[in-house]
Amino acid sequence: MELLKGEKEAILKHTKEIFQEFEAKRENLIPILQEVQKRLGYLPRLAMQKIAEFLGIPPVDVFALATFYNQFRLNPPGKNEIKVCMGTACYMVGGKIALESFERRLNIKEGQTTPDREYSLERVACVGCCTLAPVVVVNEQIEGKVSPTRVDGIILSLQGEKSKEGEEANEDTKEKLKGEKQ
Amino acid sequence: MTAAALLEHYSKLKEEALKKKEQEQKQPLIMVGTASCGIAAGALEVKEAFLKEIKKHKLQASVQEVGCMGYCYAEPIAIISKPGFPPLCYGNVDEGLVKLLVQSFLIEDDPCYEYALVALEPNDIFPTFSDFPRGVYEHKIIMEHCGFIDPEEIDHYLVHDGYAALAKVLSQKPEEIIEIIKSAKLRGRGGAGFPAGIKWEACRKAAGEEKYVICNADEGDPGAFMDRSILESNPHQVIEGLAICAYAVGASQGYFYIRAEYPLAVKRVQKALQQAREKGFLGKNIMGSGFNLEIEIFQGSGAFVCGESSALVSSMEGKMGLPRHRPPRLTSSGYRGKPTVINNVKTFSYVPAIIRKGADWFKSIGTEDSPGTAVFTLVGKVKNKGLVEVPMGTTLRQLIFDVGEGPPDDKQFKAVQIGGPSGGCLPESALDIPIDFDSLKEAGAIMGSGGLVVLDEDDCMVAIARYFLEFTQQESCGKCTFCRLGTKHILDILTDITRGEGTMESLQILQELAEDVKDGSLCNLGKTAPNPVLTTLKYFKDEYLAHIMEKRCPALMCKEITLYYILPEKCTKLCNVCVGSCPTEAIFTREDGIKVIDQGKCVKCDNCRKTCPPEHDAVVKLSPAILPEEGGEKK
Amino acid sequence: MSREITITIDDKKIRTVEGKILLWVALANDIYIPHLCAIEGKDLPEASCRLCFVEIEGKNKPVTSCTQPVYDGMVVRTRTAKVDRLVKTAFELLLSDHRLGCASCPKNRNCELQRIAKERKLKLRHTRFKYLGRETAVDDSPDSFSFDPSRCVLCGQCIWADHEKAKVGAIGFARRGLGRTVATFNYESLKDSPCTECGLCVEACPVGALSFKKNT
Ligand SMILES: Cc1cc2nc3c(=O)[nH]c(=O)nc-3n(C[C@H](O)[C@H](O)[C@H](O)COP(=O)(O)O)c2cc1C
Ligand code: SF4
Ligand code: SF4
Ligand code: FES
Ligand code: FES
Repeated sequence: MELLKGEKEAILKHTKEIFQEFEAKRENLIPILQEVQKRLGYLPRLAMQKIAEFLGIPPVDVFALATFYNQFRLNPPGKNEIKVCMGTACYMVGGKIALESFERRLNIKEGQTTPDREYSLERVACVGCCTLAPVVVVNEQIEGKVSPTRVDGIILSLQGEKSKEGEEANEDTKEKLKGEKQ
Repeated sequence: MTAAALLEHYSKLKEEALKKKEQEQKQPLIMVGTASCGIAAGALEVKEAFLKEIKKHKLQASVQEVGCMGYCYAEPIAIISKPGFPPLCYGNVDEGLVKLLVQSFLIEDDPCYEYALVALEPNDIFPTFSDFPRGVYEHKIIMEHCGFIDPEEIDHYLVHDGYAALAKVLSQKPEEIIEIIKSAKLRGRGGAGFPAGIKWEACRKAAGEEKYVICNADEGDPGAFMDRSILESNPHQVIEGLAICAYAVGASQGYFYIRAEYPLAVKRVQKALQQAREKGFLGKNIMGSGFNLEIEIFQGSGAFVCGESSALVSSMEGKMGLPRHRPPRLTSSGYRGKPTVINNVKTFSYVPAIIRKGADWFKSIGTEDSPGTAVFTLVGKVKNKGLVEVPMGTTLRQLIFDVGEGPPDDKQFKAVQIGGPSGGCLPESALDIPIDFDSLKEAGAIMGSGGLVVLDEDDCMVAIARYFLEFTQQESCGKCTFCRLGTKHILDILTDITRGEGTMESLQILQELAEDVKDGSLCNLGKTAPNPVLTTLKYFKDEYLAHIMEKRCPALMCKEITLYYILPEKCTKLCNVCVGSCPTEAIFTREDGIKVIDQGKCVKCDNCRKTCPPEHDAVVKLSPAILPEEGGEKK
Repeated sequence: MSREITITIDDKKIRTVEGKILLWVALANDIYIPHLCAIEGKDLPEASCRLCFVEIEGKNKPVTSCTQPVYDGMVVRTRTAKVDRLVKTAFELLLSDHRLGCASCPKNRNCELQRIAKERKLKLRHTRFKYLGRETAVDDSPDSFSFDPSRCVLCGQCIWADHEKAKVGAIGFARRGLGRTVATFNYESLKDSPCTECGLCVEACPVGALSFKKNT
């Protein structure tokens, strides 16, 4: 994947900062990966290389961990992260139905991100709110008792936010244009 | 240091805490349950609402966040403790109720009994826990204070004798403490039930100065959350247990291994560690005893297998979380190759109480070989969902029908799944076995992590087995042949059966393969993964046969062999709700006005069946997936 | 620890040294036990292929011989009904994820899977378990050898050779569960990896996954 302009600089800056917080010990590999992902949203190839250099281990060893653990992603997530609970309690009362509804509406499969990078869809195991099953976590916010109709509602409200943002962005560009004209 | 000096040191700290508490109790105190379950149900909004109302009326009252007391079905929960009244607990609190409670109770002294769930102290105006069937069975040791104290306030723990056990042990010999734990027969609550005292002793006796203790809070069972709840509700209790263990085995470094998916638990443990350090319960020269202990948090990265202790250690060392062959045991070669004790959150939680009250007290609860209590996440088809703590030896029937009050909506109980992906499904006929490590194992299930899911007539046992196999298959680390490939083939066969594509031959292969995966796998993930299959094959073979021979799912759950159908004689023709509810526009109106489902378009999302008004109840599921002939008669 | 002891394997008395690993003792005495993942000199055995089961008198379940130290008076059976059942299943499971086709395989007649099949009279074809036939791509970017993951049995021999003998660090295990695979950093081609083409990993591979190209 090609890095966008400025992304390379951001990666180098963040990794450098993070390395100052940690001793260069293999034991710190997972905490470092977690911190990198927290800041960048995913683990870019360049960051993994830098981490390997920092710890003095082969890059393939860093890659091994990045691909082993569920938490880590190698691609940037969508702007809106939707996680459908597939814990036992949720599964039993329609978690799968909710997941399928999202898949249908967003036209992606679980584990994927929409091509416009707006939404990513994942499954998670019990988030600890079984009494509200089926549960969906939308951008860290927990939604309980999610029926297929509610799925539509959730997506509509996210789209609503987006178009609002869009308007704001338009305003911004208008402002800028004005500025340029002046 | 002498026992007396330690006691004095501790008493001072407790004194301060008590004074603070007294001060707090002079004015009304509102406690809102803000563990994850509460927050999801809107507890933070409730807390804000209380603060707003109190401010509006310029009242003298304080609002506190507490953990979860286990009554998840009634979240958000608030407890109001007003001088002159017993503390009263209210469920399903919303903004309206907040306004009412502030006005009627705080201002006008009317406790609104009609909204109260229970009183928390013995009194003569309102029932307490022990007046309900659930309270009769419950016996709280490690959940005693969960939901009643502020987890972010160490003084609240101190008031309830918190850290008294640590103060006590520091003047004793480590061997004496191990003796107490051994004699209490405390068994590990993380799954296998291994005696904690024996583990500690092995670590104590292992050669070397450098030793570690680790609290396993990886809790990956997809239907269980008691460890999280305990960490969120009373983290100090776990810290104290871990500290006592560290002292007993001779470790000066401890860790909490917590799932990264539990951010609130991480935050609360972090805060608790900080406070314990400030009070001198952690750090160098604890309470002047010369004992040093540091505790850090390690966040797991989302791999179920990392709950297995050798995989856990491997991931802490910055490697893939792969289990390894044992021996060597972790108590001789664990974290960094040093002797290490790993215990579950609950196991550590029992320790302070055992030290304070003695091994005999602990043994007086529960059964001979499994003393103490069992903590379960009671979910699925029961009315009272939530966390429960009952003495070992309670029967499953009591737990499900008395504590949980059985399936809602008058549905028929079918099975109970215990122990999550490593456990099994037990039928009605097994409900009278007592809950303890050995009895459950004998029945083919395991105590496991304590997930307990009740299933009713609408749940297909093949689909449930398939669900758990899908989970273990995805979570297998992939190291060993049986688990990596065996679970995959088991899953594939189960999938075929749920689709009506199973054969008697594949059923035979399923049985053999499940037994071999159990015997041949390297670690307990693989060794226990077949349990959901083996128990359902044992107790619910008829359901497997119905899928295979008749392509029929008796519970109408397996989509591929079930279809949705609108009963012409029941459809009113007048309403259109089902048509609007269908996400794929599969429902159309026939010339005579009756709604019909286009089977080619139907995705079986259940929307129409849910929305069809109850007085008509015209949408039904049919299995095998054969449409009745025109005129309503079956083919 | 270097106490001389006597053990019995399949009625054959063997003098050996206490604490040695049973698998190596058996092999050194011409008693064949199937094995793929065991590496002599590795202190914590992988014990991942699950082919080396034997039964030991006094234990009620088969154990893996690659993890079992020998002790005086130990009585071992390499062929019992229980052992044979587990080995057969493990072997069939491995084959279910292995692209068969011995005739066109560079390791034909020099392959550990063929040897196991011969020794244990097992079928070299897909039997109870259907072939998973997962999509994988051959990496033939190196000049001297190529890597065909569809024939890999995940024994880890190549990674050990790469990390511990060649000390390069070009390959390692990646992913989890069924996805577990031998991979380079970021799945890049071996040509783009630090691989020096020393060939040690190819020599270590017991099957046709890593093989030298014909013309070199
Ligand atoms: C696949 C797998 C997952 C496990 N997950 C957990 C877990 O989440 N929490 C836990 O305490 N123990 C878990 N265990 C059990 C641990 O390996 C270990 O037995 C336990 O932490 C020991 O503590 P205890 O003796 O206090 O139970 C798991 C075991 C296996 C095989
Ligand atoms: S049983 Fe499963 S989880 Fe355990 S080592 Fe084998 S593959 Fe890994
Ligand atoms: S490539 Fe060969 S040596 Fe390497 S893991 Fe696969 S089968 Fe073993
Ligand atoms: S199963 Fe979904 S929240 Fe527990
Ligand atoms: S050689 Fe023993 S498990 Fe592979």
